[in-house]
Amino acid sequence: MAKQYGMVIQVAKCIGCQACTVACKFQNEVPEGQYRTKSPVFGPIGTYPNVAMYFEKEACQMCQKAPCVNVCPTKASHYDENGLVMIDPDKCVGCKYCLTACPYDARFINAKTGAADKCTFCFEERVSKGLKPACVSTCVGGSLSFGDVNDPNSDVAKILTKSKSEFRKAEFGTHPSIYYIFDGVVR
Amino acid sequence: MDIFWGIPSEEHIAWGGMIALYLFLAGIAGGGFLTASLTDLFSKERPTKLIKTGAYIAPVAIIFGLGLLVLDLSKPFFFWKLLININTNSVMSIGTYIISVFVSLAFVYAYLVWAESATTLTGIWAKLVQFSSRFFVLRKPVALLGAIFAICTTTYTGFLLSAITTNTLWSVPFLGLVGVPFLAVLFLVSGVSTGLAATLLGAAKSDGLKIYKKLDIAFIVMEMILLALLYLTVNPIYFNGSMATLFWIGVVGIGLVLPLVLSVYGLYKHSKWVAPVYGMVIVGGLCLRYFIVYSGQLF
Ligand code: SF4
Ligand code: SF4
Ligand code: SF4
Repeated sequence: MAKQYGMVIQVAKCIGCQACTVACKFQNEVPEGQYRTKSPVFGPIGTYPNVAMYFEKEACQMCQKAPCVNVCPTKASHYDENGLVMIDPDKCVGCKYCLTACPYDARFINAKTGAADKCTFCFEERVSKGLKPACVSTCVGGSLSFGDVNDPNSDVAKILTKSKSEFRKAEFGTHPSIYYIFDGVVR
Repeated sequence: MDIFWGIPSEEHIAWGGMIALYLFLAGIAGGGFLTASLTDLFSKERPTKLIKTGAYIAPVAIIFGLGLLVLDLSKPFFFWKLLININTNSVMSIGTYIISVFVSLAFVYAYLVWAESATTLTGIWAKLVQFSSRFFVLRKPVALLGAIFAICTTTYTGFLLSAITTNTLWSVPFLGLVGVPFLAVLFLVSGVSTGLAATLLGAAKSDGLKIYKKLDIAFIVMEMILLALLYLTVNPIYFNGSMATLFWIGVVGIGLVLPLVLSVYGLYKHSKWVAPVYGMVIVGGLCLRYFIVYSGQLF
């Protein structure tokens, strides 16, 4: 079966340390004030002693039916040979149509290149060399896993068979490749 | 979700005032062209001043609008890549070609209208006009083809936003019809109305405008019905906060109610009301574009 890269986020394990946020900026030289990923806090909700909060790592969801690819007038936003959404900064004119189309607010105009930018799964720099993405490698709580969901022996496939996962904003029919597991999280 | 652990929130508005202004100007251009070309094609009196005004407004407005569009790109010097890399799935990519054809036709038409009435020229200009006189027969075909592309351009401004299917304000369908975006209909009506208003402003002193003034009243009423429909169909959150002020005062008050009251009154009593009435229609059209562009991204 063809490779299908995906990231699994076990929300309960995330301690909100933002190591992923920083590792991503470091790996990808993301300009100041801009982020390919962040892990914002949700909550706290409830009253003492039943107070809960959690962190949700947010980045490009690597949609398999990506609105950003559909609308891009120059085909700068495209699917690569693995079906991942990538941006060719050379073709991009910076029209920001994709920014308005992405329901996850995952994109920004890179202040250095002037082109649209977002998470790439660290594909060129790391995954193609057999490494895990920077955010996954560095994850302190062990919340992030990455791999081929079609390979039953991969970390991600194993976790996904054990636990029920969700997609963010599934109602838009974007078919994301980021799986959120909320087991043990009070929402 | 804005502030968390010291990391500031990001800008959520991708398209701002420049895009709103561009959509507005494209509407004026389309509406101006339609006013001029349809008059040219179907009117027996063919009021010269009115045709000229509309024919000149179109290329000026669309070029100004396109200039803003290019400036809004983060890489304005690479705008030509829009012309060589085509994505047939992308409304913007298709629109680039529609607008290019419209711009060309608008310029040719404006030239033909100008040249045919330019009788007092001397020197090189006279020679140019004389040389091109053999093309004067093309005026009506150009008017007709241009009218079609004017309609396409004006509706395109709606399709551009409605193609964002993940935006529940922009992509709302017209009367629930699949494939007929509300904004395409709304921007067509508003574009024709503002384009007609701009033309009437320019031709304010000529006679025989009564039919056009009546038409504009009809468009204002149509727009009111459309906006009422929109208000009732979409999530009320889009009409909140500062957007409420813009909508009720700018779009509804200045753009529709006041001009309607004044033009019903002015139409039969004072023809001097042309400037304030049509000025307000134009301001209202601009407010409408701002409202739709911003509100769709704020909530
Ligand atoms: S999350 Fe946004 S940027 Fe990423 S693939 Fe989906 S639509 Fe495109
Ligand atoms: S900003 Fe770049 S990547 Fe995004 S739609 Fe425009 S050309 Fe495509
Ligand atoms: S996969 Fe790479 S680019 Fe994407 S959020 Fe993680 S570190 Fe950043």
